[in-house]
Amino acid sequence: MLELIAAVRSDGTTGDTGDDEDERSGRSRWERLRQSDFVRSAPFWGPPFLLMGFFVYAAIGWNFLLSLTDYERFQGPDYSNLDFGMYRRMLDDPTFWEATQNTLILLIVFTVACLVAGLLLAILLDREVRFGRGFRTIYLLPMSLSFIVTAQFWKWMYNSQFGIINEFFGLFGLGPYGWLSNPDLVLFSVIFALVWQFSGYTMIVYLAALRAIPQDQYEAARVDGASTLKLYWRVIIPQLKPAMVSASVVLLLFSLKAFDFLFALFDGYQPRKGADILSTMMVREAFARSQWAYSSAIAIVLFLLSLAVIAPYLYQQHRQGNL
Amino acid sequence: MARAKLDEVTKIFTEDDGSEVVAVDDVTLDIDDGEFLVLVGPSGCGKSTTLRMVAGLETITDGEIRLDGTVINDVPAKDRDIAMVFQSYALYPHMSVRGNMSFGLEESTNLGDDEIAKRVEESAGMMGIGDLLDRKPSDLSGGQQQRVALGRAIVRDPAVFLMDEPLSNLDAKLRAQMRTELQRLQNELDVTTIYVTHDQTEAMTMGDRIAILDDGELQQVGTPLECYHRPKNLFVAGFIGDPPMNFLQVTNEDGTLIDHSFEYPLPPQVASAVEGTDSLVLGVRPEDIELEPDQSRADDHTISATIDVVEPMGDENVVYLRLADGATVARPDLAEQDAAEGTDVNDAAVEGSDDAKGGIAGESRSTIIATIGGMQHFDDGQDISIRIPPDAIHVFDADSTEALHNRTLQDADAVPGI
Repeated sequence: MLELIAAVRSDGTTGDTGDDEDERSGRSRWERLRQSDFVRSAPFWGPPFLLMGFFVYAAIGWNFLLSLTDYERFQGPDYSNLDFGMYRRMLDDPTFWEATQNTLILLIVFTVACLVAGLLLAILLDREVRFGRGFRTIYLLPMSLSFIVTAQFWKWMYNSQFGIINEFFGLFGLGPYGWLSNPDLVLFSVIFALVWQFSGYTMIVYLAALRAIPQDQYEAARVDGASTLKLYWRVIIPQLKPAMVSASVVLLLFSLKAFDFLFALFDGYQPRKGADILSTMMVREAFARSQWAYSSAIAIVLFLLSLAVIAPYLYQQHRQGNL
Repeated sequence: MARAKLDEVTKIFTEDDGSEVVAVDDVTLDIDDGEFLVLVGPSGCGKSTTLRMVAGLETITDGEIRLDGTVINDVPAKDRDIAMVFQSYALYPHMSVRGNMSFGLEESTNLGDDEIAKRVEESAGMMGIGDLLDRKPSDLSGGQQQRVALGRAIVRDPAVFLMDEPLSNLDAKLRAQMRTELQRLQNELDVTTIYVTHDQTEAMTMGDRIAILDDGELQQVGTPLECYHRPKNLFVAGFIGDPPMNFLQVTNEDGTLIDHSFEYPLPPQVASAVEGTDSLVLGVRPEDIELEPDQSRADDHTISATIDVVEPMGDENVVYLRLADGATVARPDLAEQDAAEGTDVNDAAVEGSDDAKGGIAGESRSTIIATIGGMQHFDDGQDISIRIPPDAIHVFDADSTEALHNRTLQDADAVPGI
């Protein structure tokens, strides 16, 4: 803001010749600036702007600074010696690579599964089924539950001895499976539970978009000779693209910070082998092992991943004039 | 190309509360190969439902629809070989014009890509949208979208074209232009066409034949001129023609039509046609009414009236006239409503009762409309006589609303289709 004022002032003086004029014009510029919408609206946008700047952007900046130090345990950060040592440590850390790999698997499988499941539910519900409203509420309900609750619930479901899922497979003489203990299965057990919780959300987003498509689109396609499958594939689903994009952004961002569900599911900072992701690793390094600088570096990596998700979306929205 | 036949087709919708609504009631229509049939009627008359049953978008409650002799009641829409133009155009917004036009061919035929591309270009050329092929519908004006919608139907080369009020979203000028263009196109392609509209002008100008529907029931099928000059009942007489036909509520006393303010002796041949029916409606088209400023020249067939408002249209003047007190102008919708309820229209109206029904007729009760040449001048409030020529009158039974006598036409033989 100060820069801007300075810019306006200097601009105000350049064109003028005489000193008096200079002064007068400068004052009137100052006066005009004081009357401008920008300044007069400042009391409204200023405070939230400052709060956001301090608590979000300054915190991110400070976090980056921390990641350049060697801060660990209780000795306090030393800002005199900044380097990328923590990032080099990351590259040599097999735990980090495993967590990154798991994060990407979660990111992709969870998002795609949610989009597909939500789409199928939305299409079924859109076909004027009996009790459609009831189903809609039922499907959306998991979304309203706390992750602590659903994690506890899935822990029971997945229990290798008494869990209802193993009981079910037992009926066919299969299992028991270690849904949460087998390193090959555990990540997909987590993804399945999260899809269960989130597909109601994608369903609602799709349903709203489906309801916005006029009935005569369906009718025109039918008269044009399209089968039901082709009708959805070629006419309806392409029109759901904006809904798909916005739902994907929400799901991708969520999967990057899916910490609380895992924390509750595994009762602590250390998920079972095969289910560690960057966010759990970040919290563990900080609060279980007091590796503050290393944890900050992981946080920066997560931040960059989030940015990679949201930046294209914001750019596209900006280009379409929605922002 | 095909011959379409609707045989006693009925559509009943069941509401959520279990009640039934008859949308289309026992409609029988025979549409010739290459014919342009217009389904016309007020909103809610079942014309769109009828069209949608032909398209396969609504199930048929009762009766049969045949295409070239084959019953298609249970054939799904996608297999019926029909093309439809929607009121909203229903273009696929995510596809280019080319995509929109080729979609139907891709889905309903086994044609190769080259052949499809060739046909799309041909049809686009015919519709004058050749240079829009790579644009999206949202980049087009309403008129251009309309052409794309038509092009999408034409390219299919279907057995039957169905059009559901395709011109109603265009402005008046473009609509008039598209009207002629559509007619020319239909003549060229010679494809059987069923066209739905609520606009009687479109019906009159475009159709080979028009079918007038009201309340789900077919009122009359005929050439436009036939429906105009020989309406079967009050509804058709009132619906076709703009400004509409004037109706006067009268009683028949030995061949003379009596109202409080006038007596109108019928020619013998008309008198015999209406013999035995007491309560009648006298109908006369606005263009048949002659205005006689000189009241001394009044005769048996003149009625005294006062000029209420004159609307100059340039080529003609539309004159609104107030009849002397007591004369009653009947309205077909009022008559029908009362007839359906079994009340005597005549009594209710002549007594000028202040009940709700009397109120419906409202202002139109004592106003009749005449159209005269644009160069004739009359003042508002002027007292004059109006002459109703005996050969131009229509007489309807007020109870059944059926036409008992239609006007005589001297040159009927010279004009085809009357």
